[in-house]
Amino acid sequence: MIRKVMIVDDDQEMLVSLKEGLERYSEIFRVVMAEDGLIAVDKLKKNAISLVVSDLKMPRMDGFTLLAHIMEHYPDIPVIIITGYSTPEMERLAREGGAIGYIGKPFMIQDLARKIMTTLRKESEGGTLHGVSSAMFLQLIEMEQKTCTIRLVDKLSGKQGVLFFSEGELLDARASGLQGEAGAYEIFSWDEVSLSIQNACPQKEKKIQAELQAILLDAARLKDEAGCEEGPEPVTKNSEKTVKVSEAEESQKSNVIANIRARLEKEIGERRGLEAIYHDNSWDGFIAQATRVGTFFNAGKLKLGYIDRGESNDFILVPAKQTTVISVNPKCPRDRIIKVISGHMGSSQ
Amino acid sequence: MRELFNDILSLDDVDGIMLFSFEGELIFKEFLTPLPEEPESRDWWRVFIYSLNGAREVDLIFEKSRLYVRKTDLGYLMILMGVFAPIAMMRLNCDLLVASLKQIKTTKGLKRLFRMKT
Repeated sequence: MIRKVMIVDDDQEMLVSLKEGLERYSEIFRVVMAEDGLIAVDKLKKNAISLVVSDLKMPRMDGFTLLAHIMEHYPDIPVIIITGYSTPEMERLAREGGAIGYIGKPFMIQDLARKIMTTLRKESEGGTLHGVSSAMFLQLIEMEQKTCTIRLVDKLSGKQGVLFFSEGELLDARASGLQGEAGAYEIFSWDEVSLSIQNACPQKEKKIQAELQAILLDAARLKDEAGCEEGPEPVTKNSEKTVKVSEAEESQKSNVIANIRARLEKEIGERRGLEAIYHDNSWDGFIAQATRVGTFFNAGKLKLGYIDRGESNDFILVPAKQTTVISVNPKCPRDRIIKVISGHMGSSQ
Repeated sequence: MRELFNDILSLDDVDGIMLFSFEGELIFKEFLTPLPEEPESRDWWRVFIYSLNGAREVDLIFEKSRLYVRKTDLGYLMILMGVFAPIAMMRLNCDLLVASLKQIKTTKGLKRLFRMKT
């Protein structure tokens, strides 16, 4: 599992230098950049971040406020503070605030990398497993009454999630911007996962009231009913439960995906090479950069992007408030698909 | 040298070419129509290069233009074109160009080969 480490600093040069310097560790972790605390908060919702490295003095939201936010909402994510205004008092405040590391600038990138790697190793101190069914494994956790944090990656979509167990009891879950039971339903809809186990559970509050078995059974039922082609269904099991995704948003998301799928089926037919269609805002950073290039050339609004990363699938990105990602076989009729989707966007605008 | 890119520049509706190093340094550019602003005036190309995240090929379709980006041994080639440019022919020409740039990298020094157009 390649982790994501978020670096938060309002100094653009520092951000790029750190990203460059940490590139050599790209087989272990990728760097996600944020220019201030507010952007970091947004990216925490949209990305499965394993660790945060943050400056202290930043506009809009400083490092201390960000640290407090992370401690409250993401207690499993360790935070390392880096600052050019280092004083013993600041270090004391940072550590009392929950930071697991404090490094004064200037520093050697290797020192930061070492700290990051040591911290990330704790995520899998209890072991890792690949290609397993999450349901089976999680029932084992319950039986053995383990206290742990489990990080999962869905083999199909690459989505990441976290589950918190205390003595076998499921306390909380987080995935794809969803928390609590909604996050758990999301994770339990994944067929095959890679997972890593950390032998600690920083989450203390029980945010999921239902029993693990009940949620597992119900998630399986929902998956069967939905056919699971586009990914997990929105949680509609019980209207009294705390579901953070509004019905209107879910309806809109399903409509966009359904419309694109229908259009491709109609225009291209069986050989369209479509693997999956889903929403994923982790591409937003790239889309922002591409948009800036388009503005420079007075090219107009970005309609879509085709990305070949040399992997088993290529990606078509359709920018919007919720970025739609169409995963395709590299041998798909690319130009026809692009034409259909560009035309679809034109008619829907 | 411009000769390397002649075939691409001669395609219909192609506006220009840039070649950036992997560090975001502009090595070469040639535009068939004047730009409102020179690419060198902006310092965020490096950030854009990093956002490509090692992608082999990127095709960005905008309302009025298209930017085709291709990874080569020397860096990222970016071709700006209009919406009517023959993209399949473009890709084919890039396949051939990538192969010849690979040869150049092994036989010639980069600085000898490219001169910035001013």
